[in-house]
Amino acid sequence: MRNILLILQREYIVRVRTKAFIIFTVLMPLFVGGMIIVPARLAMKSSGVKRVVIVSPDVALANSVKTELTNSHLAGDEPAPRNKRGKPVTLKAEFDVSVETTPSEALRQQLIDRVRAGGIDGFAWLEPDVTTTRKCTYYSRNGGDFIEGALFSRALRVALSQRELTARGFAPDEAKILLAPVDMDAVHIDKQGTNKSNGLGAILLPFLLLFAIYMTVFIYGIYVMRSVIEEKSSRVVEVLLGSVTPMQLMAGKIIGVGAVGLTQIAIWLGTGSILGTGGFAIAREMLGDTLQDAHIPTGALILFPVFFILGYATYACLYAAIGSMCTTDEEAQQLQFPVTLPLILCMVFATTIMRDPNTPLAFWLSMFPLTSPIIMFVRVSVNMPPIWQIALSVVLSLISLYGLVWITSRIYRVGILMYGKRPTLPEILKWIRYA
Amino acid sequence: MALTLELDCVTKAFDDFVAVDHLSFNLPEGEIFGLLGPNGAGKTSTIRMMIGITMPDSGVIRAFGQPLTRQLLNRVGYLPEERGLYKKMTIMENLVFLARLKGISTAEATGRAKVWLERLDLARWANSRVEELSKGMQQKVQFIAAVIHDPGFMILDEPFSGLDPASSVVLKDALLDLKKQGKTILFSTHRMDTVERLCDSICLVNHGRSVLLGNLREIKASYGRSSVQLEYDGDLPLLADRSLVSSSNDFGNFVELRLAPGADSQRLLQEAMRTAHIRRFEMVEPSLEEIFIDTVESTKKVPSHA
Repeated sequence: MRNILLILQREYIVRVRTKAFIIFTVLMPLFVGGMIIVPARLAMKSSGVKRVVIVSPDVALANSVKTELTNSHLAGDEPAPRNKRGKPVTLKAEFDVSVETTPSEALRQQLIDRVRAGGIDGFAWLEPDVTTTRKCTYYSRNGGDFIEGALFSRALRVALSQRELTARGFAPDEAKILLAPVDMDAVHIDKQGTNKSNGLGAILLPFLLLFAIYMTVFIYGIYVMRSVIEEKSSRVVEVLLGSVTPMQLMAGKIIGVGAVGLTQIAIWLGTGSILGTGGFAIAREMLGDTLQDAHIPTGALILFPVFFILGYATYACLYAAIGSMCTTDEEAQQLQFPVTLPLILCMVFATTIMRDPNTPLAFWLSMFPLTSPIIMFVRVSVNMPPIWQIALSVVLSLISLYGLVWITSRIYRVGILMYGKRPTLPEILKWIRYA
Repeated sequence: MALTLELDCVTKAFDDFVAVDHLSFNLPEGEIFGLLGPNGAGKTSTIRMMIGITMPDSGVIRAFGQPLTRQLLNRVGYLPEERGLYKKMTIMENLVFLARLKGISTAEATGRAKVWLERLDLARWANSRVEELSKGMQQKVQFIAAVIHDPGFMILDEPFSGLDPASSVVLKDALLDLKKQGKTILFSTHRMDTVERLCDSICLVNHGRSVLLGNLREIKASYGRSSVQLEYDGDLPLLADRSLVSSSNDFGNFVELRLAPGADSQRLLQEAMRTAHIRRFEMVEPSLEEIFIDTVESTKKVPSHA
C-alpha cells in the first residue's frame, strides 16, 4: 500500500507541474468558452450597422421595406428574442437604409462600384413589376451574408403583404395583427413533469460534461500509456521492480494519473462556477432564452464522478497494457487505435442519443462496458433512465473492469520487461496464461 | 561464515528455451563475487530472479538465510545494466523516490543522498534534471540509488561501464569501503581485469549452467604457470602450431598463450626468436580473460557437461 502511494504521489506531482498540464488546464475553459461565445457573438452583431440601398421606382413600397428592415423585430416572422428581464435583444444586423427611386443601368453600375469599394454593404434591386412577380435581387460583397438577404426578402414580403391587405380593405392595424409573428414556446416532457426548454439549452451543459469525460478519459488514458512506455524505454522499470510488484506499479500509476485528471476537472468546475456565472450572464444576455433553462439534472451531477471513474479505469487499464507491449511512442500509436475506437464511437453516437435517449441502440451502448460509462452518462443527463438500467450498467462495468485488471495486469507484468519486437496475439495470450 | 545468498538448483525456462539450468552457488557474507559469462549465458535472467522480478520455475533462492521474499528485497541494492532514472526529475528527487520505495524516510534519504553526491563529486548537480547530465554522471547517480538504503547485499551489473578513469577509481574505492563494512557485492561484468582485481570468488555461466565456480585465487593456481606472455615485434607463425600452443590471444605486439600439454617453454622461445624480436617473455598464471575464453570455448563444444 505504501508503495502504491509512493508511485501515485510521484506520478501526480511530476504530471501536475508540467507545462502541458498548466496550459491545458487554462486553455480548455477558454476553448469551450470560445466555442459558445464566439459563434453567438458572430450571430448577434455581425459587423455593426449595414449600409444598404433599396432601388425601386415605387417610393411607398421602398419606404415600407425600409421601415420593416429597421424595425425588423416588430413585424418579423419570428419573435424577438428577449433576455431574462424580458427586454427584446437585437439579434440581427442593424440597417442604415437609403432609397433610390430612379433605376437605370448607370445607377446599377454605380452601386456595384460602391459595394466593391466598400462604400455600402449591399443594395436590393426591386423590379417595377415586383408586386406581381414578387422578385427582387440583392447585391452584396459577401455571398455568405445570407442573414441580410433573408432579412431583405422577409421585409419585402411583409411590405408587399401589407400593401395587398390594405388594398383589399384591411385597416393598417388589422394588417399588422395578421402579419404579427407567432410566439412559440417548446415544452419538454419528462417523467418528473414538464420543463420549458428549447433544444440547445437542454443539451448544452450535459454536452460540456460529456465532453469533459471524453477528453479526460482519452487524454489521461494516453498519459498512462506514455508513462508506461517512458518507464520502459528509460529502463527505470527494472529498478522499480526491485522494490515494487508490477501490480502495485500499475495501480499506483493509474490512480495517480487519474487523480491528475480529477484535479483538472475540479479546477475547471471551480473556475467555471466562479467565472462561469459571469461568462454565462454574458452569454445569456446575448442568446436570450436559449440558455435560460440550461441546467444539469442533479442525478447526472451525482453520477458524474461514478461514470468518470469507471470510464477512466477501464480505458487506463487498456492503455497501460498497450504501453507495456510497446517500446516507443510511435509503435503505441498504431496499436492504440482499436482501444480508442469505441471511445470515438461514443462521441459519434452521443448527439443522436441525446436527442433520442431511449432507443435500443442507446440501451445496448449504455450496457456495453467500453461505451457504457459515457453513453449511460449521456442518457442520465438528458433523460433519467430507469434505476435498474443505471445499476445494471454500473454492475456490468465493474465486472468487466475486474476481468480487465486481471488480464491487463498479466500482459503488463510480462510486457514491461520485453523489448524489441512487438508481440503477436498468440504471444500475448501466452503472457496472460503465465502465472 | 554466514551466507548472504544461496542459489540451489535454480531453473528458469521461457517456452522451450532454458535460460537458467540447475544453477547453484553461494555468496559468503562480505565477499565480492563475480558472475561472469558470455552474452546470453543467462546472467540477467539469474539476477532478475535474485531481485524478485521473476520467479524460478524450480529450485530455491535464499537471501540472508531465508527464502527470498519481498520484505527481504529492502536489504538488496540493484544497479541494472541498462540505466534507468526519471529524466524529467532532478537527481535528488530520483534518489529520494527510489530510497523511499526501499522503506527509507524522506529526511533520511535526503541526508544520505547529500553525503553520497558529495563523495562522488556530484553535489552541485543535485537539483539538475537527469536529462541534463552526461552518461557517466547518470551512471554514478544510478550507483547511489543502488546503495542509498544501505543494503547488506548489492547486485551491480557492469558498474564501471561509461566511467572515466578518475570516476572509476572513486567508485572502486567506494566498493572496497562497502566491502570493509561487511557488505556482500555481486558483480556482473565482461571486464575481466576488474574482476581479477576486485573479486574473491567467481561463477562462470554458459548456456545457463555453471561451468567454473570457486575462489578466484584457487582457480588461477589450479591452472599453474602454464601461460606465457610475450611482447614482440614481427611475426609469430608458431601460434598456429598446436604441438606448442594450445590457444592464444594475440594483440599484434603482445600475445598471451597457453602451452600445449607437454610442450617446452624454452623451445617456444627459440622458435619465436627466429621470426620476431622478443622484448619480454614471462611465464605466468593464466589471466582470467584467458580462462574465460578457454572455458567458454570448451563448454561450447560439450554443452551437456555440467
